[in-house]
Amino acid sequence: MTEQFQTQKQSSLTVKEFQEGIREGKIEGYKCSKCGHKQIDIIEFCPVCHSPDLEKVEFSGKGSVVTYTIQLVAPEQFMNEVPYAWAVINLDDGPRVTGWIPFISKPSDLPVGQRVEFKKSYLPGTVFEKI
Amino acid sequence: MKSVYVLSAEMTKYGKSQLSARELALEASKKAILEAGISPVDVQAGFVANAFSLSEKQGHLGPIIMSGLGIPDVPASTIESACASGSAAIREAWVNIGAGLYDCMLVVGVEKVSQLDTITATTYFSFGSDYIFEGACGASFPGLYGALARAHMTKFGTTEEQLATVAVKNHENALSNPNAHLHKKITIDDVLKSPVVASPLKLFDACPFSDGAAAAILCSEDFLRKSRGKISDQIVIRGSGRAGGTGALHQRDDMTSLNSAILAGREAFKRANLTQKDIDFAEVHDCFTIAELVAEEDLGFVPRGQAAKLTQEGYTKLNGELPINPSGGLKAKGHPVGATGVGQVVEIYEQLHGKAGGRQVENARIGLTHNVGATGGSCAVHIFEIN
Repeated sequence: MTEQFQTQKQSSLTVKEFQEGIREGKIEGYKCSKCGHKQIDIIEFCPVCHSPDLEKVEFSGKGSVVTYTIQLVAPEQFMNEVPYAWAVINLDDGPRVTGWIPFISKPSDLPVGQRVEFKKSYLPGTVFEKI
Repeated sequence: MKSVYVLSAEMTKYGKSQLSARELALEASKKAILEAGISPVDVQAGFVANAFSLSEKQGHLGPIIMSGLGIPDVPASTIESACASGSAAIREAWVNIGAGLYDCMLVVGVEKVSQLDTITATTYFSFGSDYIFEGACGASFPGLYGALARAHMTKFGTTEEQLATVAVKNHENALSNPNAHLHKKITIDDVLKSPVVASPLKLFDACPFSDGAAAAILCSEDFLRKSRGKISDQIVIRGSGRAGGTGALHQRDDMTSLNSAILAGREAFKRANLTQKDIDFAEVHDCFTIAELVAEEDLGFVPRGQAAKLTQEGYTKLNGELPINPSGGLKAKGHPVGATGVGQVVEIYEQLHGKAGGRQVENARIGLTHNVGATGGSCAVHIFEIN
């Protein structure tokens, strides 16, 4: 088997590292070394000041729901999990992140502003639970 | 930039088809060439708008379509910008002709997805999201727009009943559109009682998965003079606007509007040297009912947070102040992804030439199209006038 080539990636967070981090119970993202902007994403420049100097940081995992949907029809991997919520979450220490929230079946289960916490999981995406 | 004209715009019927993407694209292209009164050899270059042809095990549609038109040596590439592929292709043709590189181009948008079952189609469509953060966390396309709808409801008090008025209006308009996918009159109650797909959105808040194709012949003023012998009573692209936005919703501060649509709209109005008051009707991207309300606000047709109330009052009906989606929109005319943006130009062509039959907007001289890719990662807006 041919060996995979090594990237010259300046910032250290790769998609694989982000997804491995989730399985280890960490949400990682970037903090701009110049302006301090924080973002959970795969980026090479800061979208605010456009500096290329980004550092990898770990975020707390606690936050509040900004908006959400409750899925009753779902993509293939999730079709046996319905109903569940997919939400956009404001983390207490800055950036926004998305999350799968299981066991939510009606809007009264998840009011906007609901406090939630990141949970370690073996899914490819981030999972949250109500606090 | 040189002026760019729409010589013709034609479409197949939208719906479920037995034909493949290449056949649908050829049917629409042939109709557009014949309607334009030109020969295929007049076409100097083409763009194909398509998102999911790989689901039919076929990429590289450009040469296949050009070969089918008998002009295999004419260059054609595929433009993919998710649901905005069609308008992105119109934009690129406008750039090419406007810059003087070509005088006559074919833009054809096509999609064929009815061979996929609902779950597979839902999965394919979720690939248009920022997959690591959205699809991989369980969000489907209706889910992402469900989250936008929830944000709009939270901020402005928009109700599910108000969302339903968009679906009722667009289904009504589509009744007079022989090419529409859905010909079914519905009530507010039908929408509210339809099965929840991704709350607060229900089945009747959503556009269908459609097959279909639409094609347009765009040309320069020189070509128009040569082929038509005049430039009056012809449709000119007055303005074009194109912008991007973050792929993922969580990178945005505001989820009640699409920044790419605001920016594309501003550019189109500026280039056209027109204002919102000059627009006689608009075809906007109503993939879900919430998207039509957000579009009206992003384009500046109504004040922020007022679209729901005004729609409920009939402001955007065929006989209202500003008819929106006289064709039936994506909601009822249908949404064959790659074809949609070109299909909007077909409605412009029929309306401005007074050929829209029972859905004709009275005295329509200036029309606008607004076409969004995914949740606003891409947007193109065009303004057309008959001179």
